[in-house]
Amino acid sequence: MNNRVELFRGNRIFLSCVYWAFVLYVFVPLILMVLMGFKDSKFIGFPIRSWTLDWYTGVFSDAQVLSTFGYSVAIAVLSTLISVVVGTWIAVLLEGRKFVGRGVTFGLTVLPALVPGIISAIAFRIYARYLGIEPGMGAIIWAHAVHNVPFVVLVVMARLSTLPKSQIEAARDLGADPFIAFARITLPYLVPAILGASIFCLLLSFDDFVRSFFLGGYEPTLPVLIFAKLKSGMSPEINAIATVALLLTAVIGVWAERFTRRMNKES
Amino acid sequence: MAKETSERTFWGRLASWGPYHALMHLATASPRRQFLILAAFPILWILTQHLGPMLQMLRVSLTDAYPVAPGVEQHFTLENYARFFGDSIFWQPFFRTLIFAGVFTFCTLVLTYPVAYFLARHVSRKNQMLFLLLLLIPFWVGEIVRTYAIMILLGNTGAVNLALKTLGLIDRPIPFMYTSFSMGVGIVYLTALYMLLPLYSALEKLPKSMNEAAADLGAGAWTRFRRVSLPLTIEGISSGCTLVFLISTGFYATPVLLGGPSTTVFAETIAGFFHVAGDEWPTGAAFATIMFMAALIITTVFQKLMNSLRKGDKK
Repeated sequence: MNNRVELFRGNRIFLSCVYWAFVLYVFVPLILMVLMGFKDSKFIGFPIRSWTLDWYTGVFSDAQVLSTFGYSVAIAVLSTLISVVVGTWIAVLLEGRKFVGRGVTFGLTVLPALVPGIISAIAFRIYARYLGIEPGMGAIIWAHAVHNVPFVVLVVMARLSTLPKSQIEAARDLGADPFIAFARITLPYLVPAILGASIFCLLLSFDDFVRSFFLGGYEPTLPVLIFAKLKSGMSPEINAIATVALLLTAVIGVWAERFTRRMNKES
Repeated sequence: MAKETSERTFWGRLASWGPYHALMHLATASPRRQFLILAAFPILWILTQHLGPMLQMLRVSLTDAYPVAPGVEQHFTLENYARFFGDSIFWQPFFRTLIFAGVFTFCTLVLTYPVAYFLARHVSRKNQMLFLLLLLIPFWVGEIVRTYAIMILLGNTGAVNLALKTLGLIDRPIPFMYTSFSMGVGIVYLTALYMLLPLYSALEKLPKSMNEAAADLGAGAWTRFRRVSLPLTIEGISSGCTLVFLISTGFYATPVLLGGPSTTVFAETIAGFFHVAGDEWPTGAAFATIMFMAALIITTVFQKLMNSLRKGDKK
């Protein structure tokens, strides 16, 4: 046994170096970007010699930036509500049921998640025109909702597959009709999955650029605003905006991760 | 007794409420009807919302004018596709996109495989989630913000150039930005997670004893990797690569911000047809369709190849 431990030690040290190097690779660019938001100069670049909070106070007193935040959050919340309802419904249909065309249905269900970003944006743009949806908030909400449905379906199906069938059967035996059995047994069991999927959809929508860009009207979402500002030149102001967005998404992401894990453990 | 308690709850009252009861009776009259009621909305949604946009794009790509101006008749035509094959100016960004996507996918695989391997095999169960979560945090951050972070890292006055200068390795900053290199760093940075997760779940399923048995039989580290881990994780590699390849072909903002005139990708070409007047839409739709078809064919062939590789190994 000892020999074996010896044998794997070399690999282990090498691989742990690779892991920590990877951690650096994913964190360092973001840390640098955050630091640059505190630079006391309009010029983006290293080294940073003096520091300031002016860019942040600027962001929080900029009416356009603040309204863009609100706009993005509203889009994220509304599109998530649609995705969650539709996604859960599709998951209930697909999980553990055999019917003609189930495979095709499943394939088409995950399709929006597999279409490359630009093509998905173009297809939605053309279809919005066809349906008569004007570019703007409604169009973005619709596109985000459709794009995020597959993620809800996959998460909810995974949870649904672990629901003991006997519970539903017991409810039916006691006289519950299918709807009440769903509302009182299935739905409560799905809550952790639905919450986890909701957070994921919120972040996907809040972070989405390409669909918001092609379906948006005059009012930009946050990523579109940052993109527009970047095209006219880098400035620490953008760093401050990006940092606030980063903190928001990272905190929600980590909290959701812990929350769903705890809920999964409890049940 | 049981009836009494059930009637006190909301659900009990709902169940015995006349109209609801009648409705439910009607809906659940036969298993067939029950299924139809459950399936109608999802099927309708999938057909109109998931398939609809793709079919409409295909339809528009086959017309000569869209949106149709009043008084103008719309004709079906293959002109838009002919335009792509007729002009080499479009082939260049097209093949560049596919080659870049392939190369970046391979880079992502090479970069994340050892990380996934370390997580799945050398970290205790208890810590695995913690180590994985640490890597997930940056991936919650959006595409644009992370692209911007790469711009700051690689700029002429960026962190990398400053570090190289301080070390005395260079006198003048290296122009990393607006090249295929900066684009590659950005895209690998954005897609790494989509490779890492499938690899991790494939490696996690692999029993530790297999590697130990191979080691007992005298296999070295490289042989163990090549003959044991690699063949048994082909499924994870295959799905990770497919995902990353599809995502890489679809990036628009990242190539615009990190690339230059010599790295124009097909996404920028397609987007160009939608920024100008409406009558270019059919061409844009045709180009998007070509792109999608090419990406689908490549990933399907790749998956088939990987599958046959796996089956061949089992024999």
